[in-house]
Amino acid sequence: MNYFSTVVTLLRDRQVFLEEIHEGVKLKSKISALMISSFCFFAIYGAIIGMFHSPLQALASAIKLPALYLITLLVCLPTLYIFNALFGSKKTIAQHFTYLLTAVCVIAVLLCAFAPVTLFFLITVNDYSFFLLMNVIIFSLTGILGISFLYQVMKPIADGDGAKVRTSILRFWLCLYGFVGTQLGWTLRPFFGSPGQFELFRPREGSFFSGVWTALINLLT
Amino acid sequence: MRSDLADLKISDRELEQLTGCDVGDIFIGGVFGGTYRISALKNPKKLIAFCLTEAVVFLLIVVFTLPLSLFLTSGANGIADVSSTLRFLLVAVGIAIALLLAWNLYMKWQGKHLRSLMRLLDEVDRYEDMLSAIAVLDRLETVNIERNLNSALQNRSEILEAIHLTRDNLIAGLTTEKILRENRGLLARQQDLLASIETNLSLVRSLEVKHQADEYGQFLNEALQIGISVHQEVQRLN
Repeated sequence: MNYFSTVVTLLRDRQVFLEEIHEGVKLKSKISALMISSFCFFAIYGAIIGMFHSPLQALASAIKLPALYLITLLVCLPTLYIFNALFGSKKTIAQHFTYLLTAVCVIAVLLCAFAPVTLFFLITVNDYSFFLLMNVIIFSLTGILGISFLYQVMKPIADGDGAKVRTSILRFWLCLYGFVGTQLGWTLRPFFGSPGQFELFRPREGSFFSGVWTALINLLT
Repeated sequence: MRSDLADLKISDRELEQLTGCDVGDIFIGGVFGGTYRISALKNPKKLIAFCLTEAVVFLLIVVFTLPLSLFLTSGANGIADVSSTLRFLLVAVGIAIALLLAWNLYMKWQGKHLRSLMRLLDEVDRYEDMLSAIAVLDRLETVNIERNLNSALQNRSEILEAIHLTRDNLIAGLTTEKILRENRGLLARQQDLLASIETNLSLVRSLEVKHQADEYGQFLNEALQIGISVHQEVQRLN
């Protein structure tokens, strides 16, 4: 069973793929194929970024990076579905899940597209800060492209009652996704592994936002 | 493939409508929430693909249960030393193995209700293989300039008729199976469809006798075998 052929269909014939989701055609196979493909692509990229520290970190990040994106999606899915259903959406939860998985798969494919570049800098550069910053840019770029894809795909097109409200719900949900994703990333850290001994997980102290706030205070003082 | 032959294919979308299930090469109803086809485990390539899928599903379960494993094993200092790492791995792998076993048991239970559908889907696969073989024969005939063109066209039209009847049998069988699976009854409808299958079967049988000697004989025999299997399956549904 070729799960990656679903991704190829998504990339080559996006309109047909999205129409099939809209009509509810073969949703279960699409969900399976997109989830397995996303896992593989995220695992590959996670292994590359972890490799900067050590093979153990590569193994850990190969599991953590898919966990970050897929768990965030599962946590935020009920919110999007229930709010959309409440304001007039006729789409089923399976359709919502397939749309979201499609966007996450697009992010995964885009990350894999950067994999040769990251691998090149992994081999040629020995500067942790540079590698970290480069990946922050890559993750931000792929995240923005993935989210804009999701926004275009899910934005209701004069779809009857509550279309404007559902557009606002989608925008709110995208912020929620970012909020949950950053906190999960904080919980599952480290992904790159700071120089020194391998740590599978760091102590669960504070939150992503308190961490950023502390870093900002330290920078300014 | 010529257009008249291509029209006889049963598309994925049509198959989904006829069966009410998302049908794949190895799984029915997708990997998550569906079940595996028994015949897939008898094919070496599909068996390898199934085993790889099991491995990936195991890793996916580890991924989704990561927060739970972390919650159960994480202390104040995170998980950095060897003992806490081993404890975490033990919990994570243990939970994943338990859930993987539960998933396999669920698929086995789910599969019990779909045995007839699986057998019919195997006949659909045989039917598709037959169409592909005829398409190859068509392509060979275009380069064979010694053939008697009239004889080839007449034989081909009878073949297409037999394939059409086989297709109708398959659709009737799949429809019956779906109705009975979803409604556990409607005996009258089943008997109507059974009568229709028997009529088609006798027509295919007569064509098979007529063309036993020529190269289309094997395809007609294949179509007949598919029809007989469908007929047996529909009778078994009673």
